[in-house]
Amino acid sequence: MPLFFRQVSAVFWKDFKTEVRTKERLSAMCFFAFLVLLVFNFAFTPDSETIGSAAPGIFWIAVTFAGFMGLTRSFVSERENDCLTGLLLSPADRGAIYLGKMLANLCAMLFLEALILPLMVVFLNIAVWQHLPRLLPGLLLGTLGFAAVGTLFAAMSIKTRLQEALLPMLTLPVLVPALLAAVESFRAVLAGDSLSDISAWIIIGGAFALLFVAACVLLFDYVIEE
Amino acid sequence: MGKQLYRWSRILGVLALIGMLVAPWLALVYASVERQMGLAQKIFYFHVPSAFAMYAAFFLVFVFSILYLVRSEKRWDIWASCAAEVGLLFCTLVLLTGPIWAKPVWGAWWVWDAQLTLTLVLWLIFVAYMMLKSYSEDPLQSARFRAVLGIIGFLDAPLIHYSTRLWRTQHPEVVRAEKIGLPPDMLVAFVFCSIVFLLLVAAVLARRVSLELAREELESLKARFHVTESRT
Repeated sequence: MPLFFRQVSAVFWKDFKTEVRTKERLSAMCFFAFLVLLVFNFAFTPDSETIGSAAPGIFWIAVTFAGFMGLTRSFVSERENDCLTGLLLSPADRGAIYLGKMLANLCAMLFLEALILPLMVVFLNIAVWQHLPRLLPGLLLGTLGFAAVGTLFAAMSIKTRLQEALLPMLTLPVLVPALLAAVESFRAVLAGDSLSDISAWIIIGGAFALLFVAACVLLFDYVIEE
Repeated sequence: MGKQLYRWSRILGVLALIGMLVAPWLALVYASVERQMGLAQKIFYFHVPSAFAMYAAFFLVFVFSILYLVRSEKRWDIWASCAAEVGLLFCTLVLLTGPIWAKPVWGAWWVWDAQLTLTLVLWLIFVAYMMLKSYSEDPLQSARFRAVLGIIGFLDAPLIHYSTRLWRTQHPEVVRAEKIGLPPDMLVAFVFCSIVFLLLVAAVLARRVSLELAREELESLKARFHVTESRT
């Protein structure tokens, strides 16, 4: 395995193991996302037509906001005991550090989504299972795009005076195309569209993820520099 | 550098002022009244040039941000953040003049058309840019952060445009107000107004940068002569 990917996997496993052993971040994220789901049930009338069409939006709002929470935690924990300085002093490529952390965040968010989807089936009473294979591409690309931009901005926002409060304000406007693609493809699939019907949304989601993973690998160096 | 820029900003500013005095005459008197939209269409001569000015300024932010990250010279950060301020100003103008035109023509102040959504999202990105500026602690770090956001914001623009267009085509299509073939008299007024607005952007940007450079110089002079008075 080339050195770059060994570095990526080392950073990834470090974050992954910390998460598995403490479970701090994930449990908070999941509980928060669950609360968001419930609050939306109170905001809309349950069992109504509206909640069915709003379900994709509710899902992504829950995932996005719980995601923000997890993203900042992934850098706040690095700040304790100057872990970040240690990481930066290591000969690892900065792009590799970024990719490792991004993949760890991606994993956490995918876990969260795997938990939220069944809960949506239960609480919002929408049929998800038979659509699952067609849901996955949009879901994966949307999450990848979110993790890509979010990881970079989380590294930035924790170094400002507002700290994690700045993260949504930086990320949400940039995230508009990815969120639109994710929500619209979700909605189309629930309405019974096939993969070829939503190909335009998949392309947008894919282009967003690809463009910003590449851009963030290059830009991370400037963000993390002391 | 700063003084020369100041001189340029004066020359450009005078040109823009003369242009601004002629522009209303061209737009309101010389160009004929559009048949369908009537007088409401007149704002086109100020709305669209403002949009051009906004795109020009945001493109400059992108270019200067890359230059700053590559060269890490302070002046490119000054150019980039001043261009962002000017771009945000014209973006706000676009968002303000748009509804004035939209209400009589489309019957609503705001519609979620691709162009409108793109402008609004760009406005949000550059408001975040300004927040990043005011909430940062380390000035060097803040400059790098802003450069990163400036680059990402610009890269995002085509994606936002494409996705919002796709999003709205699933809903009733909004009739585009701009026509591709403008009659000659309207075209003259439109091109003239566009040039005047670009001159204005250049003038405002040059003035803003020269001001910032003068402030830099003052700071370094104060540091050199150990002046410790607090800035108000």
